[in-house]
Amino acid sequence: MNGTLHLAGGHILVALREKVTLFWLLIFPLFILTVLTLIFGNLGESGEMSFRIAVVNLETTSPGPVDFAAAIARSFVALSMAGSEGAAPLFVLHQPAANDDRSAFIDGETEALRLGDRAALVVIPEGFNEAMQSAVQGEAGESYGATLDLFLSGGRTASDMAASIIAQVLAGLERELLETVGRFQAAEAVATESVFVGADEDGRTYVDYLLPGVLLMGFFTSGLFGIPGTILFNRDHRVLRRYWVTPLTVPRYFVGVTLGQLGLCVIQFGLIYVLGRLAFGATIGIFRPLPLLFLVLAAVTFIALGFLIAAVAKTGNAGMAIANVLNVPLMFLGGLFFPVAGLPLILEVVALVNPITYLADGLRASLDVQAAAYPLAVALAVPAGWILVCGLVTARRLNWDVAR
Amino acid sequence: MKAFRALVRAELATFSRDKTTLVFTFLFPLLFILIFGALMSGFGEAKEAHIGVVSVDEERDVLDRVVAEIGSLSISRFEDEARLREALLEDDEDFGIVWTGTTLRFLYNAGRLQENSAFEEVARGIASRFNLVRQGITPILAIDVTEIGGGDDATWLDLLLPGILAFSVFSAGLFAVSGHLTGMKQRRLLDRLIVTPMRPIALLAAIVVVRLAVVYASTLITLGAGMLAFGLNLTVDWLRYGVFVAAATLGTMGLGTMIALLVRQPSSAGNLASAVSMTMMFLSGIYFPLEIMPAFLRAVAAAVPLTYMAEAMRYVTGVLDMAELRFWAITAALFLLGVALLPVLARYVVAADRR
Repeated sequence: MNGTLHLAGGHILVALREKVTLFWLLIFPLFILTVLTLIFGNLGESGEMSFRIAVVNLETTSPGPVDFAAAIARSFVALSMAGSEGAAPLFVLHQPAANDDRSAFIDGETEALRLGDRAALVVIPEGFNEAMQSAVQGEAGESYGATLDLFLSGGRTASDMAASIIAQVLAGLERELLETVGRFQAAEAVATESVFVGADEDGRTYVDYLLPGVLLMGFFTSGLFGIPGTILFNRDHRVLRRYWVTPLTVPRYFVGVTLGQLGLCVIQFGLIYVLGRLAFGATIGIFRPLPLLFLVLAAVTFIALGFLIAAVAKTGNAGMAIANVLNVPLMFLGGLFFPVAGLPLILEVVALVNPITYLADGLRASLDVQAAAYPLAVALAVPAGWILVCGLVTARRLNWDVAR
Repeated sequence: MKAFRALVRAELATFSRDKTTLVFTFLFPLLFILIFGALMSGFGEAKEAHIGVVSVDEERDVLDRVVAEIGSLSISRFEDEARLREALLEDDEDFGIVWTGTTLRFLYNAGRLQENSAFEEVARGIASRFNLVRQGITPILAIDVTEIGGGDDATWLDLLLPGILAFSVFSAGLFAVSGHLTGMKQRRLLDRLIVTPMRPIALLAAIVVVRLAVVYASTLITLGAGMLAFGLNLTVDWLRYGVFVAAATLGTMGLGTMIALLVRQPSSAGNLASAVSMTMMFLSGIYFPLEIMPAFLRAVAAAVPLTYMAEAMRYVTGVLDMAELRFWAITAALFLLGVALLPVLARYVVAADRR
């Protein structure tokens, strides 16, 4: 028993001493958790986005009491001021100076837009105030009162996003103006609410969705590379055959390596879970029977896949090649980072036989992060089936270098 | 010249026998296109979203009118909220609206994390317009949108494909040195070669020629497959494409040289190159638009060479516009990086084993 535990400890120590292993087992999952949370965790929230836009006011007259054109230009200036607590302003604004030639300015900004240096160009045309004046008083009938020109940069996501925000800014302004002249009754405005279907309606965030995925990713990479790497390179370098002249037997070696790999999973779990909870405010509570069952099932499934690779590969390099080929497609098709939908048929088939699909679904459902796509029995049975198949192939085919 | 031809043949044979490299060079870009094309296709498409609507009869027309005025949304009607929820979970609808007579409830699929913020923007537009129309007010402010430059109706998929091509070129160049050449050093093949009359530059030239041929082939296959699979219509500027791919391959071989010189053991160079390429992949705006990243990550992305390669590749495939000077500056910088480091690489080939 002592020998087996020593072997397990040695397996962990070797993994932690190797910079490459350390990178893939610990640093890369933490990097993914950090980057994806920073990108998607606050997607669309103010203070997280900033767009370079230009606003040109060509209106020179103001027939009524209100200079609508100037009010619109001012609202963009207000949105280009730094937000509270130093948050980035929504817009970085470019406007012509008082003496600038407006037409030349528009030409320059249009070129900047084409090259992607601006996200949008808003032009308030001449005659705008007059059209707005009659529209606000309800004299425009069924047609729109005034039109603003919005120029966007074709094919750029930033431009599309800026356009949506500009539309919202103008809609807010429009409502304010109509309210001021007494045409819009704010008290009669309808209530709106947003409901996210498929999540428990407890305010789960992206990091709650991502954290279980990154935990599984850590276990997956660890099992897929760790097990064949250890066994096959030890076999290639004739280390295994030296073990067999000691009292160590194949079953005890098998148990030792498996326990060591499970120990690595525990270390990964500790670091990733703590980072997710403390640094990114994840709220999932994993210490319950069903989530823990899925985590253990995942660790064992991925270790079994590692043994399967060790059983079919002839050399360490071949084993690493197989692991590399399986790694990225299975991770992404298993829905570890994003929900998977609308795949071409062949990839849909891969996703359906992929044990990660069921483990990720079952783990997230058990954590109330999303509604289960598969019944609990299926989510448990498919990975268990993989463990069985991998176990059988390993028992029949893995060459432990005993007889040579 | 004879030695060079023999080395080219040897390099080609080595490459074609290396199944792992073949898979990474030809199969992976195709897989990435299919996987990420399906996963990230929602970006920028919110205005063509499919909306499920449940509405009390009296004001159904008002809601219809409002939705029809916003983008090119398509509407499906549902008898009750439960069915709409089911359709959302099945991804049959992008988001839903339930008008109860007093409340406008917007339903989103919680799983569509990467698209929901765009759907919410559209929903806000619908809500504010609905409020006006319901009180009998014709909206007073219209926006006339004109798109300048770029491909016609380019979507995130159009941007993704050249991004993946740039990543293919990046990996091929990087691993040609930190992987292939360092592997030769590790296995002491270089020690044997340098005692022959072969000049190190002939070996490097052979590696460059074979990698260039492979990169052209793999990027063209990926480009063709991506365009066919997703019906994309990219307008490739073949001259600039040819020049840029050559410069980028050389430039990334230069980066591979820097990695090889950084590590003590040649075998570690491949591992470091893997780590560098995977890290850069997530930070270069290939899979996620740079614009949705927080300011801090955008600053990091600005320091990543792959960001500029993706930008230039999008330009030569006609997806995005770019200043001609900027394109040539990126191309020249990559070319010069590769050419400047070739003598260093030649010295690396003949240098005593650092193990």
